[in-house]
Amino acid sequence: MELRHQVIVIGGGPAGLNAAKYAANAGCNVALLDSAPRLGGQYWRHTGIESDDQSRHHNFDQGSLLMDAIIANPRITIYPNTTIWSASVINGEVVLRYKDGAFITSRLILATGAYDRSLPFPGWDIPGVMTAGAAQSLLKGSGVIAGKRIVVAGSGPFLLPVAAGLSSHGGKVVGLIEAAGKFAWLPEILSLLQNPAKISEGLGYLLTLRKAKVEMRFKQAVISAHADSDGLLESITVANIDAEFHITSTYSINCDVAAIGWGFTPDTSMAGALGLKEEVAADGSVVVAVDENQRASSAHSELHIFAAGEITGIGGSALSLAEGAIAGLAAADSRTNLRDLKKIRRKARRFALTLQRVYPIALGWKSWLTPETIICRCEEVTHAAIQSAFTELDADDARSAKLMTRCGMGMCQGRICSRNVADLLDSPDADRIKGVYRPIISPITLGELAQDGLL
Amino acid sequence: MNSNPDAIIIGAGIVGATTALSLTNAGMKVLVIDRGNVATGTTSAGEGNILVSDKAPGPELDLALRSRDAWFEIQEDIGGGFELEAKGGLVVARSEDGLRSLRTLTAAQRIAGIDAQDISITELRALEPHLSHSITDGAFYPQDAQCQPMLAAAHILRATKARGGKFVSGANVTAITTNDGAVTGVVTSQGTFNAPVIVNATGTWAGQIAQLAGSALPIAPRRGFILVSAPTRKIIFHKVYDAEYVANVSSGDADLQSSAVVEGTQSGTILIGASRERVGFQDGIDFEILRILARQAIALFPILADIQLLRAYRGFRPYAPDHLPVIGEDPIFKGFWHNAGHEGAGIGLAPASAQLICDGIFDRPSFMNPTPFAPARFAKAAAS
Repeated sequence: MELRHQVIVIGGGPAGLNAAKYAANAGCNVALLDSAPRLGGQYWRHTGIESDDQSRHHNFDQGSLLMDAIIANPRITIYPNTTIWSASVINGEVVLRYKDGAFITSRLILATGAYDRSLPFPGWDIPGVMTAGAAQSLLKGSGVIAGKRIVVAGSGPFLLPVAAGLSSHGGKVVGLIEAAGKFAWLPEILSLLQNPAKISEGLGYLLTLRKAKVEMRFKQAVISAHADSDGLLESITVANIDAEFHITSTYSINCDVAAIGWGFTPDTSMAGALGLKEEVAADGSVVVAVDENQRASSAHSELHIFAAGEITGIGGSALSLAEGAIAGLAAADSRTNLRDLKKIRRKARRFALTLQRVYPIALGWKSWLTPETIICRCEEVTHAAIQSAFTELDADDARSAKLMTRCGMGMCQGRICSRNVADLLDSPDADRIKGVYRPIISPITLGELAQDGLL
Repeated sequence: MNSNPDAIIIGAGIVGATTALSLTNAGMKVLVIDRGNVATGTTSAGEGNILVSDKAPGPELDLALRSRDAWFEIQEDIGGGFELEAKGGLVVARSEDGLRSLRTLTAAQRIAGIDAQDISITELRALEPHLSHSITDGAFYPQDAQCQPMLAAAHILRATKARGGKFVSGANVTAITTNDGAVTGVVTSQGTFNAPVIVNATGTWAGQIAQLAGSALPIAPRRGFILVSAPTRKIIFHKVYDAEYVANVSSGDADLQSSAVVEGTQSGTILIGASRERVGFQDGIDFEILRILARQAIALFPILADIQLLRAYRGFRPYAPDHLPVIGEDPIFKGFWHNAGHEGAGIGLAPASAQLICDGIFDRPSFMNPTPFAPARFAKAAAS
């Protein structure tokens, strides 16, 4: 089945929702695609019980309003449960293949978001160690508290809502371990104060944590995890670390869940498949390069492809909403409110960069590894295997490391490990960008591929 | 003191690596150069086939038979590390015609020295329980083997270096110098290197390298796609393909030929090759070809319909008009040796091809007559 739409938006999180809304309000016929059954993305994840949504989310009312407006908009067709497995340009149009056919458009807005960033350390593959995002999804999506004694760790403002959410729903959070210093925000105070809404959101979480007596520890990190005789998480080793993330001393904590978040990695796999220009952002992540109007750079200049939200640089929901709105307007060739929106975007972007300076992730994490530490979990490739590919087998970039060790070749296709491998290899920017290309964006069964009519 | 190498090998793919090891073991000081790195060209884009089953009797089969054993000798020599496995090949027929030609082929192959076994339906099912019920006949080739080609090239190069060879990566050859009808060295982006022997092991790009010296080789790319599944439980135990594949390999047609070759690997993935078409160095992925491969694979193994496809990649086989590799000294320039044009069989044929080159350079008799592979054959064809 071939489905044509004037504008196609991929991703139903804040950026994609706003992009669809603005493009539709400017008169376009819009398709909004998302792989999940409900709109909202990771940020506004539904619990399945409407009354619960409010309590587990910040800003859910804002999200509800936006989602309701989109569902009610006759110019927007929503395609839930729709996973695009490949994207390419044929005869001057973008062809997006899903399991039953293809979407075709000449105006595409990518808002594919981000996933949790993990740093490897000895024991990070023990059941009970999970990403902060996974612990939050369990809570938001199914109302499940991940464990009995939970440590939340890593770095960045996202740890606050995770720890606050878990403890306010009855979870015992035995520690919140933040790699940055307690007063790391102080040098950025002027910039931070320009976003009072965000500051008050943060203070709200801190209040919740104080009420629940959650102890916050700074300049520390989880550097190894230990399993009990059943193979489940029993304890973690926590280190005091310096600004470079090097270990100065250690102690241990007993816990059955360690929810660890080191920020986010943009999901640029679709942008990569379409050959859009990518660049390395200030925080080291690979992002889609966009112009003033969120337009991406493609070898096919006749195409209008835009990118909005986390894939253009990690920045949070406010920045995503602004970028989505601008992309939606630009895709519809409208300029209504464009200047105001750009002002909002500038401010949100500045705030995002400030947070990146407050919560930097230093490369000293590499010193936490042992030769046996797994770097690629899908293929169980160790640190030593990657090192020997370089020292003995002439590997010299992420690609050759992958071909010789299989790191990044498994189910997740390098989504979890490729950034870390690039850091381990001190890869230059060009290698980091090149490493992302994959023609198959997400798995499809051979039976689905074999059908007629997929182009 | 002269620090120049005795031989320069251009190309660090499987053919260049095995050539370097052969020459090193024969006592030469070698320098391997590559514009990229080890195994960055066609070597990294194949399945690692070491096949005798897909060849009709003739010089290429003689080369393949010797090469198959040479692979196990290399494993012995350098200690392995490249997943070499005699997994065995299974060729199946899906029609009366297909069966007739398969039986004719196996009969001829047996005379040529291949262990080609015509097997019954019961044996077929025992070897591959998930084969389609529409398949009733086949042939089993226990000699068919496989390796992980990137690892093979890398380990062979590692052993070569440990025995005194040198490797320079990122060296793009811009000129080949000659003097009085003989080659003297190469000029590269990483400097100039001199040696009285230069081996052109640049596969699909061998014609361009020949041209730099003022010679010529008619080698063109023949594009192929491979599908890779998600890791799965072991459901396919051998390399399994349709008898039609043999006809496709030897087809001279520029259009698309495709017949699925299906196999499980040590890492748990299932590989599905291989399409063949001559479309130049055309980039990108042709989804219609992926669809055809998926269909053909499911026709062999219906169980594959529910297996997830994780990756797809393409490569360019070095194709010579008569489908034979080009192994031997250049007809114009002395000391200039070509070892290229192995099409889709480069991994399998590399060790024996390297032996032929080595014996040629040392001007001594080899395990077979190398004349059918001589680069001079194209000049003769053009003249007549």
